Amino acid sequence: MGFLTILFTKIIIFMLKIAKKNGGNLPGKLAYKMNKNIIKYFKLNCPVIAVVGTNGKTMTNNSVNRILTQSGANVISNLQGNNMETGILSLLIRNSSLTGKIKADYLTLEVDESYLPVVFKDLRLDTLVVLDFFRDQLDRVGEVESLILKINEFLKTYKGNLVLNNDDPNVARLGKANPENENIFYFSVDKYKFASEEMKEAGEGKFCPFCSTKLEYAYYQYAHIGKFKCPKCNFGNNEIYKLIKNVDLENRTFEIDDELFKIQFNSIYSIYNFAAAITATSLYNIKTEDVKQALENFVLNNGRQEKLVIKECETVINLAKNPTGANVSLRLVNEDNDPKDVLFVLNDNVADGKDVSWIYDINFSNLNNVNRIITSGTRAYDMAICVKNSGFPVSQIEAYLDLGEAVKALYSTKCKKYAISNYTAIQDTRQAIKSF
Amino acid sequence: MKELKILYLYPDILDLYGDIGNIKVLKYRLEQRGFKAIIDNYSINDEKPDFKNYDIVFAGGGADNEQKILAEDLIKYKEDIKQAKDAGVFFLLICGAYQLFGKYYKGVEGNIIPGLEVFDYYTEANPSRSNRCIGNIVIEAELNGNKTKVIGFENHGGQTFGIEEPFGKVLFGNGNKFGDTVEGFMQKNVIATYLHGPLLSKNPALADYIIKYCLERRYNEVIELEPLNDELENKCRLQLLQRFLEK
Ligand SMILES: [Zn+2]
Repeated sequence: MGFLTILFTKIIIFMLKIAKKNGGNLPGKLAYKMNKNIIKYFKLNCPVIAVVGTNGKTMTNNSVNRILTQSGANVISNLQGNNMETGILSLLIRNSSLTGKIKADYLTLEVDESYLPVVFKDLRLDTLVVLDFFRDQLDRVGEVESLILKINEFLKTYKGNLVLNNDDPNVARLGKANPENENIFYFSVDKYKFASEEMKEAGEGKFCPFCSTKLEYAYYQYAHIGKFKCPKCNFGNNEIYKLIKNVDLENRTFEIDDELFKIQFNSIYSIYNFAAAITATSLYNIKTEDVKQALENFVLNNGRQEKLVIKECETVINLAKNPTGANVSLRLVNEDNDPKDVLFVLNDNVADGKDVSWIYDINFSNLNNVNRIITSGTRAYDMAICVKNSGFPVSQIEAYLDLGEAVKALYSTKCKKYAISNYTAIQDTRQAIKSF
Repeated sequence: MKELKILYLYPDILDLYGDIGNIKVLKYRLEQRGFKAIIDNYSINDEKPDFKNYDIVFAGGGADNEQKILAEDLIKYKEDIKQAKDAGVFFLLICGAYQLFGKYYKGVEGNIIPGLEVFDYYTEANPSRSNRCIGNIVIEAELNGNKTKVIGFENHGGQTFGIEEPFGKVLFGNGNKFGDTVEGFMQKNVIATYLHGPLLSKNPALADYIIKYCLERRYNEVIELEPLNDELENKCRLQLLQRFLEK
């Protein structure tokens, strides 16, 4: 039955190729319909590395792929971010023989948090990386806590490598899910220039998950990510396996184990993604030179800190699908002293979450040299009202339901441009800007 | 300079659905008219607040597990809260806070979380945890005799019963229960509702209704609020009412 399913879906892929269509998740969807246990039939003889977390999955999975590829390995990954069961199935079908054999040195996957137990019920998993947990599309995903409990449950019987961000209490707590697992590797990032003593953006880590005591923070890097400890039971005081030091966002460098790494990104949250990727790949004896080389050239041109020049205006496009995504995007805006306009595109389609009230968790209080804020998307007015109530002058706010008009307005002046879009808006935003 | 004092309960815990936006809207609309907005936060381990010394007491919705922690804390002030409410202090309560001010909340397993018993309504969890009232909602409320459409977003598993004075009639969405005809609870100086959005962001008339009530109570005189530039809010209402009501 597995053979037939793979054969059938491979024919579909072939036909899609002839029709010059990519098909996306379609083969996976069909395979799953034909056989709910199809994942079982794939034979993998290589390590599988998976990345989960609310924000940063795509960037982390891409950098893991790049590092491993740089070392000369043949790596299969869902680089475009098709991270649900059907997307991962499609990837496996595309890369397998008819008998389900997958020939590769590594399989690296980003996986939607809520699909983790389903995907790895029958698929091998060698290293799991957990980045962070933020509030995200509450009407669609539900509260963060129930998601964490789901993953915690999965980890109770998991004995493979577990790479955890020790600066997020909701991630660090997962290290205790299975007391028998000795393969836990915590990473952390030393205090960076814009870290603060107070939490500046909405976050989750307030109480100790083990004794309900209020957690104490030495500092916050962004949102609730930072150096924390439970004053009562000492939760958080873990041995750090990889510590990133001397983060220098202006020169785009940081250090690990006294080695200097150069990168193309200048945001604190990308540093965390690199910390995760470096920690995960360090478990596979990759040469430091390969890691350095891979990261030095690594860029992502898919709306994640994507840089363009349009009508002589430097432009940065960034995806922000939840408060933390928007806040870290605004950190980029505010850490840049040049005058600029900011475009927010906010949609409320099903995949975005229909509830847009999360935008009130965006911190507009530190805006640095922003001339105008332009809003668009199906909830352009909601966004504009939110900006207005934060105290930004109404005369400098422009709202357009039509994205084309918004982009036209954005480039009506000469200065730097930042475009921040949520999930279903990001590709349209990129298109509208690129074709302007 | 005339001022209003707002007590914001548990801003660090009841912070899940952007309800802080209501405070921002109140502050903005007060300051635009030359009034002062004094906002005091109260959370666990803080000194006991003097409830009746405030014009508005506000609380929003939070994560289910954190809400239990604060229920135990707030219940200490039950009597002070009742006195403040009887004295005419305005209470704006959203979602979890709405439930908390009733008699009790009955969980899925039948466990009872006692409420403050300021009001007689009570809430029961929907037996199916995954089945919640989620979506855009429009209700019609009566504010000083004016029928006003109120736009928001509801996301609650709890079903609230025993409401005799609802906040409004449901035009689109669920309300206090699945498929209910009414939403929320309202008295002269109380609005308790499931509406996020945040509630006041797209409903400036409602924000002004609360501001006017509070100013008139504090200064004991008739106060006419100066109209503000609500162009964005009006456009937003037009767009969304069309989308939700004209199908
Ligand atoms: Zn503890």
